[in-house]
Amino acid sequence: MIKFKNITVQTQDHLILDRVSFDIAQGEKVVFFGPSGSGKTTILMTLIGAAVPTMGTVWFDGEPLTVQSLPRLRQTMAFICQEPVLGAPGAREALLLPFSFRANRTRMPSEKQIQQVLDDLLLPSEILAKQTSVLSGGEKQRLAVARALLLEKTFFVLDEITSALDPQSRRAVLELFRQPELTLISVSHDPEWLTLCTRFFKVEEGRVTTQSKPPIFRETTV
Amino acid sequence: MQVMDISWWALAGMFCLLAVPIIILRWTGVPLLRQMLTATVRMTVQLVLVALYLEFIFRLNNIWVNSGWMLVMIVIANLNITRSAGLRLQRLFPFLLAGLAAGTLPVVGFFVCAAVQPEPFYDARYLIPISGMVLGNCLRANVIALERFYSAIRTNTKEYITYLSMGATLQEACRPYLRQALQASLAPTISTMATMGLVSLPGMMTGQILGGSSPMIAIKYQIAVMLAIFCATVITVFANIRFSQRAAFTPYGLLDPNIFSR
Repeated sequence: MIKFKNITVQTQDHLILDRVSFDIAQGEKVVFFGPSGSGKTTILMTLIGAAVPTMGTVWFDGEPLTVQSLPRLRQTMAFICQEPVLGAPGAREALLLPFSFRANRTRMPSEKQIQQVLDDLLLPSEILAKQTSVLSGGEKQRLAVARALLLEKTFFVLDEITSALDPQSRRAVLELFRQPELTLISVSHDPEWLTLCTRFFKVEEGRVTTQSKPPIFRETTV
Repeated sequence: MQVMDISWWALAGMFCLLAVPIIILRWTGVPLLRQMLTATVRMTVQLVLVALYLEFIFRLNNIWVNSGWMLVMIVIANLNITRSAGLRLQRLFPFLLAGLAAGTLPVVGFFVCAAVQPEPFYDARYLIPISGMVLGNCLRANVIALERFYSAIRTNTKEYITYLSMGATLQEACRPYLRQALQASLAPTISTMATMGLVSLPGMMTGQILGGSSPMIAIKYQIAVMLAIFCATVITVFANIRFSQRAAFTPYGLLDPNIFSR
């Protein structure tokens, strides 16, 4: 589904990614880990077309990622970052924001679907009446996940999304992402998140190596 | 009514008033003395030159000369907008020039031809000062708007990308920043309109009254000018942002960092 072939990302004086190659098939759940500044987020950014490689090619569904195929990739995937962007003052408005875009207007979810997703993520329905500015970090993250699920996305690019969640909400999110048809490409240092993943990539100084076993993180690094 | 002229000697006397701010600035140690003196000299020289060429242009009153002069004003305003907004001239100049022209020319044209209706319609006495006032106000608003718009996208890259990843088109993803830019740039004009006559007597109106017009005529002109300024500001800000997007984003829909000059 996604293939990085010799991807190099370089700024004027800094090599961020150095000939990175990997393949990710549909339904796989992979995690990138490593010290900060090692290039993990740049991998995700390259994947969603927010960083353009200096060298190498990103492949998506057997085709090189180009200006023409990028909108299709963006339509397929959902990107959720550590401090999720809700983009609206009200929680309901934020949840339904993507459905105001022309591409999603016909997919407006029903109240029943909204309620179901909120229940799955242990979010009370009253949250929809709140302002996003008063939501906790964990509520914001779950609302961002709810939005992606309502968009019926199957391909998720996730940057430390469990960092602000309490154990119970974390388990609820993990359960939702366990579905076999979902492809997850994530950056995380959360030991519980690693139990969900099937492949582990260590990122160090812009280079990526595959590990057969999950890394062991001490609680303090979570 | 006869206009009371100010003699050159009397004007020179006005410069003596500057002694007071000079003393205050020196005493407080504010390092603005040099800039203040330079600005005063520049203002005087520029305005004397303006008077000379306006007299020439008014006497000539030729459609091509007037149009040419308007074009010069638009180009200079555009150079100023691009530089002050911290954007690279080579990349954005033609797009911003088109935006500024698209917003100011129709509004000034409507004002002069439909509201004032001078004979001939290109009468420099109306066309040039009205264009100058509209452009001068658009300039300030466009600097704020362009600076806000592009720096907001630059500092909120993840937010912008999130919109794209939710299926937004480039225009849809830019809309929150366009909204912010319009709001920030229009706020000063709206508050000026709201307090006009109460807090300040506008320059044009005062000028006309000093020039011998009745206050009612002066007010009608002022209202028309404010409406023209507001409309031209909205149109130029909107057009400049929309037009400049063509050069400011990569084909991948990302903001090109090379558009910034600083």
